[in-house]
Amino acid sequence: MRAIVIEDDLELQRQIVGRLKQEGFAVDAADNGDEGLYLLQEYPCDVAIVDLGLPKLSGLEVINAIRKQGSNIPVLILTARGRWQDKVEGLDAGADDYLVKPFHYEEMMARIRVLIRRASGWSDSRIVCSPVSLDTVTQRSYVDERELDLTAFEYKVLEYLMLHAGEVISKTVLTEHLYDDEADRDSNVIEVFIRRLRQKLDPDENMQPIETLRGRGYRFTLARVEQGK
Amino acid sequence: MIVLITFMILTAIVLERTVGQRALVAEEERLQLLIYSLLAAVDRNRAGMSITISANRLFENSLMTRDSGLYAILYNADREQIWRSRSITQELPDIEKIAPGDWQFKTMEYASKPYFRLAFAIQWPDVRDRLQRYDVVIWQDAGDYFEQLDRFRQTLWTWLIVTIALLLVVMYLVMMWSLRPLKQVGLEIKAIEDRQQTGFEHDYPREIAPLTENLNILLSREQCQQQRYRNAMDDLAHSLKTPLAVLSGLSDSESSARVDLEVLREQVDSMNQIVSYQLQKASSAFGAKISKPVDLVQIIARIVSALDKVYREKSVRVETGLPPAIMLRMDESDCLEVIGNLLDNAFKYSRGHVVISASEAATGEIKLTIEDDGEGLEAKEIEQILNRGTRLDQVSEGQGIGLAVVADIVKSYNIGMAFKRSVLGGLGVQLLFQTV
Repeated sequence: MRAIVIEDDLELQRQIVGRLKQEGFAVDAADNGDEGLYLLQEYPCDVAIVDLGLPKLSGLEVINAIRKQGSNIPVLILTARGRWQDKVEGLDAGADDYLVKPFHYEEMMARIRVLIRRASGWSDSRIVCSPVSLDTVTQRSYVDERELDLTAFEYKVLEYLMLHAGEVISKTVLTEHLYDDEADRDSNVIEVFIRRLRQKLDPDENMQPIETLRGRGYRFTLARVEQGK
Repeated sequence: MIVLITFMILTAIVLERTVGQRALVAEEERLQLLIYSLLAAVDRNRAGMSITISANRLFENSLMTRDSGLYAILYNADREQIWRSRSITQELPDIEKIAPGDWQFKTMEYASKPYFRLAFAIQWPDVRDRLQRYDVVIWQDAGDYFEQLDRFRQTLWTWLIVTIALLLVVMYLVMMWSLRPLKQVGLEIKAIEDRQQTGFEHDYPREIAPLTENLNILLSREQCQQQRYRNAMDDLAHSLKTPLAVLSGLSDSESSARVDLEVLREQVDSMNQIVSYQLQKASSAFGAKISKPVDLVQIIARIVSALDKVYREKSVRVETGLPPAIMLRMDESDCLEVIGNLLDNAFKYSRGHVVISASEAATGEIKLTIEDDGEGLEAKEIEQILNRGTRLDQVSEGQGIGLAVVADIVKSYNIGMAFKRSVLGGLGVQLLFQTV
């Protein structure tokens, strides 16, 4: 997953970015509204964390600008003001959720995961494409009752493919959403991870959960199962 | 004042000019009548070739009295004077040529005296029925006319100046009398600034009374606000001391190298709640009576739309039974805070169904009810929640301050708030609002 963090307090920004990276996110960060808006317009991302009080361009103006351009990136606003007037103004401007400072990083991560799931049409923290299931909170994955032993990057690839189950995901999109700027973006690496994932998910090659579409990308073929439905 | 004086001066100028012009027209008409009477006295001369004026047929005696100031001359086509009135004792200048049938009226000066001169050109048949041209000219001494006009002007401007002076005096007195309460307001403001009094104490006329009453409300609000800030700072400082003491104890303990992170986090949470509560309390308008009216129904719609976004995965079904508008005299931010916190709780604790309804109470107030189908709260739990604001140093982890803030705000606006078990199974909150 790729996140964009727009926060002018550099220490807080460092902590948020650090926590997101620790959770396996690729992160871009900006310390003012202008630069943040540029990142949101130019780089793909799965979630944006925007502080409301920003220099140059306020958080509300940034959100307004991207919504006017038709972007539906999930936006979590950070605000030091806890009054409902400020929360409603932020949500009216196009934000999807708010977090009042100071906050616990567990809560921030939980809300970010909800926003990402919601944007992909999932309502539960447990993503199920039977028989494969993924718990986005504990970051554990299963095939039926068998727990998979995935590396952090294999988990990231599987989570992204399952969140977008049924959709064709190109190698470029996968790379952009999973790698940091400075990281190696050689598309061969993706192929290696896909091959390993296939082996771990489907050692007997009965399900073939990840389909390769020549020249187009990959598709997670197992059907979504909504919890409680 | 200046406008009134300018208006009066302009009126006097217009009046003076109109009177002068009317008098001039009247003078011209009088001279025209005189010319007609002269023409009525026209006779042929003895030769019958020309005409003359029979003195015995003239009614105007001034023409017969020497140097009377009224003179008449009859000219023939060769500009020769063929008849002149007996009043003429000096030569009068000739006239310009005018077309037969035309009148020419002029005000002119001759021998240092002002005159009106009216000339009329006529054609008269001689014995051979040939039309001969004649000019009848009347000279009238205009000295009296200008003297009267000057007297009129003098009278007019004298009275005008007297009237303006009187008006200025009266207006000054009226202004002094009517501005006396404002002067008193100024003195009282100075006294308030100097902290000699806390508000306006005098009785003011009914035109100014609403102003001073509103200023008194504003002052009292400001004083309450100041008092609240002082209390908030005091509460904040005192209630922060407990968690600070715990943190201080941690840093002093021998095992400070292995600080208990759980205790640290609890104390930071506690401090955060204390600061949040005091901030919210300090920033509220608290019972502001001069706020512009807000529409409660619109505020509910805004909050529901925002919460729909936040709790989208819960798919909460919101049922509303509200009139088109409910207007309240309440600060918008406070109203948002009350409704936001109550609806947020309803969304958070419901199993997926929230009902918002309004009805008119027997006392004429509007009763707003927010219900959810969650677990609900016992009376003891509600009391504990509402008292959180008063004993902040006893706040424990995980407790929200939303309801405590709501309780403070509704109390300041004298809004009734009651909790009950909802028919949906969860909590039901009732608010009794005074509408505008």
